[in-house]
Amino acid sequence: MKTVEKIVNPVKRAGEESPGKIYNEKLKVRGRREWRGLKDTLYDYSRWLYLISVLGRFIIVPRNVKGFFRYRWMMSYLFVPHGMDKFTIGLRDEALRIAHTSFNFVIADVTQAIANCFRGDRRVGNDKAYSDKCVITDENSMVTFMMGFDKEKVHTILREVPTMFASNIFHQFNVMHYLDIAQQYGIPGDVCPMPEAEAGISIDDDFCVLGCCAVQNNTTCDGSLMGNGIIAKRLEREYGIPTFQLATPLRHKEPDVLEYAAREIKKAIAFVEEHTGEKWDWDRYFAAAKRVNDATRCRIAQLEINSTPYPQFFGAAFSLYNDTNYMGNSGRDPQFVKIDHKLLALAEQGYREKRMYAKEYRHRAIVWGVQPQYIIDQLYWLLQCWGVMPLADMLSIINTDMIADEDTPANREQAYRDMAMLNMEMIMRNHTHGGYKVLLDDLWELCEKMNADMVMMWEHMSCKALTGMHGMFEEQARERGIHIMWVSHDLCDPRVFTRQAIRDQVNTYMRTVMREEPLDPSLEVIPDSEAY
Amino acid sequence: MKKKVLNVLLKLLLKLLIAAVAFFVVTFTVYIFNLDMKATSLLAPYLEKWYDKLPRKQYI
Amino acid sequence: MRDLKHLNYFEKLLQEANNALITQAKKDGKVCVAYTCENVPEPLLNLDGAFSVRLTAPNTGSMDIATYYMTNLLCEPSRALLERAIEGGFNFADCVITPDGCTMMNRAVENMELLKTMGKDNPRFFHEYMEIAFKNTESDVELAVLQCTNHILTPLHEKYGIDVSDEAIRKAVAEHNKLCRLVRAIGEFRKGDKPRITGYEFHVLCLATYVCPSYLVLDKLEETLEELKTREPEEKPWRARVLLVGSEMDDSGFVKLVEECGAFVCCDRFCFGSYPGRVEIELTDDEDALTQVCRHYIQHCQCPRMMNQEKVYGRKQYVAELAKEYGADGIIYEQVKFCDPWAYERTLGSAMLSNDYGYPVLSVDRPYNIASSVGQMRTRVQAFVESIEIKKIQKGGRA
Repeated sequence: MKTVEKIVNPVKRAGEESPGKIYNEKLKVRGRREWRGLKDTLYDYSRWLYLISVLGRFIIVPRNVKGFFRYRWMMSYLFVPHGMDKFTIGLRDEALRIAHTSFNFVIADVTQAIANCFRGDRRVGNDKAYSDKCVITDENSMVTFMMGFDKEKVHTILREVPTMFASNIFHQFNVMHYLDIAQQYGIPGDVCPMPEAEAGISIDDDFCVLGCCAVQNNTTCDGSLMGNGIIAKRLEREYGIPTFQLATPLRHKEPDVLEYAAREIKKAIAFVEEHTGEKWDWDRYFAAAKRVNDATRCRIAQLEINSTPYPQFFGAAFSLYNDTNYMGNSGRDPQFVKIDHKLLALAEQGYREKRMYAKEYRHRAIVWGVQPQYIIDQLYWLLQCWGVMPLADMLSIINTDMIADEDTPANREQAYRDMAMLNMEMIMRNHTHGGYKVLLDDLWELCEKMNADMVMMWEHMSCKALTGMHGMFEEQARERGIHIMWVSHDLCDPRVFTRQAIRDQVNTYMRTVMREEPLDPSLEVIPDSEAY
Repeated sequence: MKKKVLNVLLKLLLKLLIAAVAFFVVTFTVYIFNLDMKATSLLAPYLEKWYDKLPRKQYI
Repeated sequence: MRDLKHLNYFEKLLQEANNALITQAKKDGKVCVAYTCENVPEPLLNLDGAFSVRLTAPNTGSMDIATYYMTNLLCEPSRALLERAIEGGFNFADCVITPDGCTMMNRAVENMELLKTMGKDNPRFFHEYMEIAFKNTESDVELAVLQCTNHILTPLHEKYGIDVSDEAIRKAVAEHNKLCRLVRAIGEFRKGDKPRITGYEFHVLCLATYVCPSYLVLDKLEETLEELKTREPEEKPWRARVLLVGSEMDDSGFVKLVEECGAFVCCDRFCFGSYPGRVEIELTDDEDALTQVCRHYIQHCQCPRMMNQEKVYGRKQYVAELAKEYGADGIIYEQVKFCDPWAYERTLGSAMLSNDYGYPVLSVDRPYNIASSVGQMRTRVQAFVESIEIKKIQKGGRA
């Protein structure tokens, strides 16, 4: 089997040694916050203050209060600081700053998204003029088709992000209600819970109702495609919001699907123009394309840092930021550029200092599969409990090709193909769909490139695209001498696998297969399964 | 006159300092003992009951 | 009713994936094109010198090896096919053409390819994967034409020298239409109060047209059609007439079970059924045949994979129209367990057919081989039949 050199951290961690024993089981939150040494505790405190101020500024607006009491999913946002603690557990130095910078920016973005939803919502703000310039899109939707629109005039509302995806991050039980509703109406429990919960929200009438039109997408999976039909029915038939289905080919590596995908992008743009009355602007598009390329370059640099013995980017917060940037932003907002560079500068500094974030680095792992790691602090835990460094996760391994960013007549045609390519290679589906090569071969190439000896394979019970290759993963890992550690979960239904049940799979593997003892035994069992 | 202004300014600074320290002590206490999330945790069951009671137009 | 003369013959053909007619067609020197989804245009697989076989795994029992490769979370048909392929049950195939229609079936075939389950002694053997249309627009027709050209016609021509000209396609369509006319004419005998063919018998005949070389079943189907014209129907009326709608269904045992409960399956709207798979393709001389074939498949497609709302609502409308045409008292929406597309389609379809069109609907999921769960399903169907009868009594006539 492949092995990597063990690296021992010469520096003792500041503050408390183990962050595992600070849960209050009765209250379902931590009994106290982590002491990270004076400097890092004060930094963490300042970021907590910032988050409180973001939430405070949000809730002083009367219509947001109204929205809070109308929508069940809003309860999750009371637990944002709890989410922040989850994403920074055990972190110090640059990694702590990277996590906070990413997370805080995402929170500000989501908070703004909720505020926008409430402003246009027919039940809450009912700002009709605003709503008439809003385009609703899916949670798992690349918004490339909005890159050429003035974002001050045409508002892209990823309605499902604050409602389902982000709300689930802060409160692991919040989505269960919607899953129950969906199943009560006949959707089986064996489909992916994410689109199922979104369908449940629609059935429960718990989506904000706004927008002059909606664009749905078949990115991700069969379940996502099918859930859209239920949501669109209500949008169109009850609320009169015209809905366009943006078809995105699955076999995205085949050149013979590109022109079709580009035609679909053109149609989506024409649909938005028709319903908003706004025109596509090529200057705006190519400016956004430059930002997309800039983000791509940063991402490549991040991967390079992580391929060294001293990786600096790891964990869910960074991954969450990457998702938001790639998918929900797609170069439209210049603020992301600043954050990208700030994150890179922090990582470079950490690399120069040879900063380590656990007592030992014993293994280098690629995290593959569909992840629940926004709901559980698995990656930080993996590192601190077992010394397994998560180098890259599947959802962050996205496009590395540059797109045309100079405005020329030829590039205007190329632009449709570029947008189509980005759309087809959307997060997750760029590996889960498009043939087995992007799922299997890409993983082994990445293991080689990142010098990984281990793969932690998230096995999302309802993700058929992943589980359908279970045996081939096993066989091919064996051939290559890579340790493959299966960790089953059910994306957003903690009743199927609790947090501890998820961790126990790692504990068992590390003890029985790897025959290792934990770096920090106090972390093996954490009483957080019932925590929010 | 100058001294008087200086005195006022000093007093003001002192007040600001006391306010800042008080703010820090209170918020840091809330922060370190996770009082914000504990309070939220106590509130959550009541909120759930509230949402359960809201009338909804449920259909597929 | 008196047994159909060839029913036993057709039933026997369905007992093995590698049936006697496939062996015969191979002896005739024809190329066997295996496929796995209704979205592949069948006539293009039945060009002169080739014949199509839609893969099935009859009498599936254990799926242990396939479950190792794909886990028990994937639908049973996909695992059953992989298991059969690993066992060597599809070694007759000269190529496999798979559209990326649903993830699970696609993964099943990818596993077959990676495990090299077929084509060991055939250097010309190939696997092809196709993108299929999502909507019923001309842009999708354009996509389908390109996909069929690149992933069906070109490899068949290059590897096996099959004539893929416009003329050859038209000839294949004419033969396909002949088959469709026969199947549909036989299916017409399901209409009326005293049907001359049961849903089970029809399903056996129709299924055989998918899993056998079609040119070898035509004569027996013609004879059956003639036989039906004079067949005496049962005197005893059925308790209810139901339209069966749903996912992949190559298990006639399921239809038999429904009919044993007293519900006559008057119409079939599922993969391997006659709607829409046995609807004739109309060709004109104004346009090339390939484009017209692709357009036909896109316009008539009832697969939940089609995502635009016109298609989403259209599928329910189509079911309602069939129910009306065949005089169905109720509708059974069925879905193979773990099938994502049909999980949603069944939910929305059963709600709309019930709420918007007023039909009693039974919504069930089922195993691939109904023999593994007869009791539960029988209870569900019996209760449904009784509920239809009660409704009839309450309304003093039809449900």
